[in-house]
Amino acid sequence: MVIINAITVKNILFGYNKKDVLRDITFDVLEGEFLSIIGPNGSGKSTLLKTLNHIFIPKSGQILIKDLPIENYKKKDLAKYMAMVPQDTNVDFEFRVEEVVAMGRHPFQKRFQQETKEDEDIIYQSMELTNTLEIRNRYINEISGGERQRVFIAKALAQKPSIILLDEPTSHLDINHQMDILNLLKRLNEENGITVVLVIHDINLASRYSDRILLLDSGEVIGLGNPEEVISIENIEKSYGMNVAIERNKYTDHIYLTPIEIKHRIKDKKYYNIHIISGGGTGQELINRLYGEGHSLSLGVLNVGDSDWQHGRSLRIEIVEEKPFSSISDKSYKKALDKVKESDIVIMTNVPIGSGNLLNLKLAERSIELGKKIIYYEEDHYENFDFTNGEATTILDSMKAKGIKVIKNIDDIIEELK
Amino acid sequence: MKILGRKSYAVVLVSMFITLILAIMITSNIGSASISTYDVFRIISSKIPYIGRTIDIGDITLGQHTIIWNVRLPRVILGALVGASLAISGASFQGLLKNPMADPFILGISSGAALGASIAIITKVTFSFFGFSFVSITAFIGALLAVFTVYNIGRIKNKVPVTTLLLAGVAVGQFLTAIMSFLMVIYNKDMTKIIYWTLGSLAGKGWTPITTLGVPLTITMIILTFFAKDLNVMLTGEESAKSLGINVERTKIYILILGTFLTSLSVSVSGIIGFVGLIIPHIVRLITGPDHRILLPASAFAGGTFMIIADTIARTAISPMEVPVGIITALFGGPFFIYLLRLKKKSI
Repeated sequence: MVIINAITVKNILFGYNKKDVLRDITFDVLEGEFLSIIGPNGSGKSTLLKTLNHIFIPKSGQILIKDLPIENYKKKDLAKYMAMVPQDTNVDFEFRVEEVVAMGRHPFQKRFQQETKEDEDIIYQSMELTNTLEIRNRYINEISGGERQRVFIAKALAQKPSIILLDEPTSHLDINHQMDILNLLKRLNEENGITVVLVIHDINLASRYSDRILLLDSGEVIGLGNPEEVISIENIEKSYGMNVAIERNKYTDHIYLTPIEIKHRIKDKKYYNIHIISGGGTGQELINRLYGEGHSLSLGVLNVGDSDWQHGRSLRIEIVEEKPFSSISDKSYKKALDKVKESDIVIMTNVPIGSGNLLNLKLAERSIELGKKIIYYEEDHYENFDFTNGEATTILDSMKAKGIKVIKNIDDIIEELK
Repeated sequence: MKILGRKSYAVVLVSMFITLILAIMITSNIGSASISTYDVFRIISSKIPYIGRTIDIGDITLGQHTIIWNVRLPRVILGALVGASLAISGASFQGLLKNPMADPFILGISSGAALGASIAIITKVTFSFFGFSFVSITAFIGALLAVFTVYNIGRIKNKVPVTTLLLAGVAVGQFLTAIMSFLMVIYNKDMTKIIYWTLGSLAGKGWTPITTLGVPLTITMIILTFFAKDLNVMLTGEESAKSLGINVERTKIYILILGTFLTSLSVSVSGIIGFVGLIIPHIVRLITGPDHRILLPASAFAGGTFMIIADTIARTAISPMEVPVGIITALFGGPFFIYLLRLKKKSI
């Protein structure tokens, strides 16, 4: 099967007045795909969509619609190939739903031509596909937001387009109606072969429904590809300025993003490379706070499957790993030591120490010798943290003697780092 | 099952047209001089080429003939033309500006025309051109200049955002009205004349305005209906309209020009007759819905009918004195509109 480009965008530049809103944008939309355009507010998403529809004309660069420059199309011919559902679907006048859908036939009609039998059939089918038949006689200004969105999609379908562009079709809708609209679009995409390009704010819905995602920031393409490629910690941090956790949602099996904290990169604030030695969940809260503060973290050695390991992975933090339920090998110890050498500060939690993870304690001891600043985070003091018949206690005591800082709560650690 | 009920559209339009013709015939019949309907019918028929020769009007006095043919009939027809023009431009401006408060005068036409007319009244120049008085000519020019100014203030590069256009209209209108009021204070001897002009009248114009303006007004109204479909689509949003292949900015300019032309011409002969252009489209919309394909022609018929009825009341209510027709349109139109609004509310 030959994949054809429905839309090809080459190096387009667009700006209102002097400010450039889109800078050197290049991408393509494949025939039959479901493409979401995401990006923070003001990144140029809607502008890009309107440029694709020839509502805005780029200052330079080229847009090809099915291999022909967009300027070569007559306005009405373009409307037969591509339909647009605008962001604002408010209509103040009392048109009936059916009349609004019928307007989609405008490009096919002459000035005084009435609807033909064919037009009527297409209008009927468009309403049938979008479940708007039962509200066909109601007034457009009296139906709900979700219904209105479906009516405008029906109007777009009445244009018999190959491509539908939608500008934030799910904003202002509750979660039920958001999914309703996206399911409808997915159905039109899969069953009717319509190429769907939509601007959407909800990254999770975008990754769930889209074949590909285009991530924009400040008018530039940050990423283009399937959701797994584009929705990465780095990309989201770069474009949205957010610390996020990304994992696979166990119910939908799609990429799922949880916002953790807005990154406040403050000028005079110091950011450290911190290595955390923890395990068994003793590090979770600490990891969250330090991550939220914007420090660069590394973890380890941690056994694969450990709760700190899972937590670190969902935040895409670098982890020195050991096989599940195995003792720390010399190889992992050396890797962790390299991480310690790269770091400014080492923090050790009061994770229980047994023969399997004794090397972690030795790692902490070694880092004192390397001249690193080391903090021992001891939230609650357990008497029985030592499962090594006293060896761990001896090491810890000697470390304390060498002057490591013992801090009992996270706020004090944050304070200590300032 | 019929989409959009096209058949009922035709029924509505035809019955409104018949109502207009009936109104013309009946109102020509009403007045202080009593002349029988049959005689009125004969006088009008005798003017129709070919058929006219077969009708004997020997028994009708010259006086009766003059009253019907030279006074009442041209006045009624002029009323129909002016009413139709104002109503159809009101309807298209309301659609264009997406604003139910819009009327044909909203872009400064009334203020411009009034100022123009005031200047002519004050300077007392008696000059006429193709049978149009100097007052008519200055009023027409004033109206056009006002809209031209408003358009250029409201325009941002080659786009005309609706909000800036409306604001510019209000601002320029207020400014021109202030100048007119100032002139009225200074030349207070002409104040009554100016006030009468601004209240509008269809009296004593004869056939001249109809023979010169009838054709251009009718043609402009027909051209305006060409844009009915585009106006419909534009009401669902300008971006929507653009993506459906409509050249929105150009369509806006065409409608502005056509509406301004209709209104300015009407105002130049009849003065400022308010309310028709505002409420007739609303009343018609209550009956037909917002589809401009029917709304525009139906507004024209309804506007014409309403105007000649209002004018008949104006000339007969306290006969032999005349009430300016603008007073009647507002006096009767206002309450009627409120009644319709309440009726509509109850039905929802």
